[in-house]
Amino acid sequence: MDVSVKGALTSNAWRTASHPQRSIHSMAWMAWAVAIVAIATLTRNPWYLGLMIASVAFVRQRCAAPSEPSHATLLSPVRFSLLVITTAALFNMAMVHVGVTALFTLPSWIPLLGGVWTLEALAYGALNGAALVSLFLGFSVLNHATSVRSLLRLIPRAFYPVAVVTSIAVSFIPTTLQQIEQIREAQAVRGHRLRGVRSWLPLMIPLLEGGMERALQLAEAMTARGFAGGVEPRDRWPQMLTLTGFVGLVAGWLLQIVWRQQEAGAALLAFGVFLLLTGLWRAGRRHPHTVYRPEPWRSRDWLVTVAAGVTVIAYLLPLFERETLFYYPYPALSWPAFDWRIGLATLGLLAPALS
Amino acid sequence: MTRALRLLTYGLTSLVGLGAFLYPFWLPEVTQQSNGALAHANDSALMMTLLVGLCFIVLLLEVQQDAVGAKTIALLGVLAAINATLRFIETAIPGPGGFSPVFLLIVLGGYVFGGGFGFLLGALTLLVSALVTGGVGPWLPYQMVAAGWMGLTAPLCRPIATSLERIFFSRHGLSPTHHASSIELWTLAVFAAYWGLLYGAIMNLWFWPFAVGPAQMHWTPGASAWETVQRYLVFYVVTSLAWDLARATGNLLLVAVAGAALLRVLRRFQRRFTFVYMPTVAGGEKRAEAAWTSR
Repeated sequence: MDVSVKGALTSNAWRTASHPQRSIHSMAWMAWAVAIVAIATLTRNPWYLGLMIASVAFVRQRCAAPSEPSHATLLSPVRFSLLVITTAALFNMAMVHVGVTALFTLPSWIPLLGGVWTLEALAYGALNGAALVSLFLGFSVLNHATSVRSLLRLIPRAFYPVAVVTSIAVSFIPTTLQQIEQIREAQAVRGHRLRGVRSWLPLMIPLLEGGMERALQLAEAMTARGFAGGVEPRDRWPQMLTLTGFVGLVAGWLLQIVWRQQEAGAALLAFGVFLLLTGLWRAGRRHPHTVYRPEPWRSRDWLVTVAAGVTVIAYLLPLFERETLFYYPYPALSWPAFDWRIGLATLGLLAPALS
Repeated sequence: MTRALRLLTYGLTSLVGLGAFLYPFWLPEVTQQSNGALAHANDSALMMTLLVGLCFIVLLLEVQQDAVGAKTIALLGVLAAINATLRFIETAIPGPGGFSPVFLLIVLGGYVFGGGFGFLLGALTLLVSALVTGGVGPWLPYQMVAAGWMGLTAPLCRPIATSLERIFFSRHGLSPTHHASSIELWTLAVFAAYWGLLYGAIMNLWFWPFAVGPAQMHWTPGASAWETVQRYLVFYVVTSLAWDLARATGNLLLVAVAGAALLRVLRRFQRRFTFVYMPTVAGGEKRAEAAWTSR
């Protein structure tokens, strides 16, 4: 097996927070990530995108511990970002032949590529690439700064079976890796070599057989320790509530966009969300549980969450000059407008770096 | 009642999910009608991401009821761990481009243990491998939905394989036990290859708005939904068909080569996993023995 995979496993995913005095609650990190997703999907304004990328890069510098060996990553973040932006820009220029500032023209008989290659398409492609880069950067910070265990805890209580299965799977991965290694060595002693698809079977079958055996043992151990194995009491209310809420939500949204019934649509939407949340809450009530070692929620987590909330609100609600978000270089390249209040709200993403 | 609710959930979430995935094709046409301007086009990408997430939540709440009992939970956990490990050491296994061995177990697991099991196996495989390798991101819900659908639809192969077998045997007058597994295997192989393509197409749809901009970019006034579909197809063929074909071929090969052996293992353990122990009040040896039955 690749050594780098193992190294990556032990060094970053299995690592518990190595700076306890600087660790941020995983819920606060999620709020931060949600803000990034919202901004990256909404805006194509280079000012806001640039501000966001700068903030995220700064947070990455401060929070994602730089002590990790750099050889584990294939490309440095800067090179990776440049690659993504260049590819997206060239791709968009090749695909979209709209705009007035022509750079050059290919004969139109070439399918897809033929036509005018414009500066506008190049700029817009680069902006798309920048949005992607901000997503990648933001989530790489999230993946570095949170531990697997704390992310697992974020699974809502309504999805208790899913959470149990996921935590079993996560704890079994080191064993599985070990077993793959053992099987490979054992087969290599017998002269087995990895060559083509067919040679994969002698590794896969023992792995699966061994895994199933271990699953049986685990199930017995769980039952012996009192894990409820019987049939659950059938309570269909959560399902019905969530399904009705889902239908209401979709119907309300369709009412808004297709039939232009703003008020009725919004009411139906809100009602649907309410039913959905009630259903989930009811489903979660079935599984009361306690936390052995709770993650502390400090004032700093409040700061991060509130700042992310302010950012999202500034982008989503029509408080400020929201039109500046939807910068659009076609048909002629223009100077993007900038609202300083939205720009200021974007800086809320810097909150994790403050301490 | 329970069954009706389950089918309703499957149907509704699949319908809405499909609509959300395909939004670049129909949304511009719908929102354009009144005054020529696109009303919600700018927010639509965010809204569609939320919708796909919601579909996943509603479907998961329904399907997770299959994961009841220590045996199913342990089996799911261990299989997801094996599959996730295979996903991140896939570089160690020789194979072409988009080829990945994870889809094999998802399809076979869903086929043997049922659609709900397949959905959970598919979705959790991608969740676990993302958690472990640090690949959590906004693309994760889409991957989980796509892989979950793959497992959820795998049991559809059962009636197809059965009817194919019936046709084949009535023509050749063979005994049904002789060729049963090979027809079944080819059905599964074609199914896996088909899903290899579909998975790529779904993930491509997630990426499309980022690659070419929001909905109005590939939509010009007067262009019908069908023209948008044609453009998307050209885009798809040029950018990712080769990659997806490699995945589809890989799936086909893997099922054809490893399917029979893996099915045998899974079925053997299925019998061991689904016994029900019913304690008897009284009645001696005979009744206690009969209580260990296969479900």
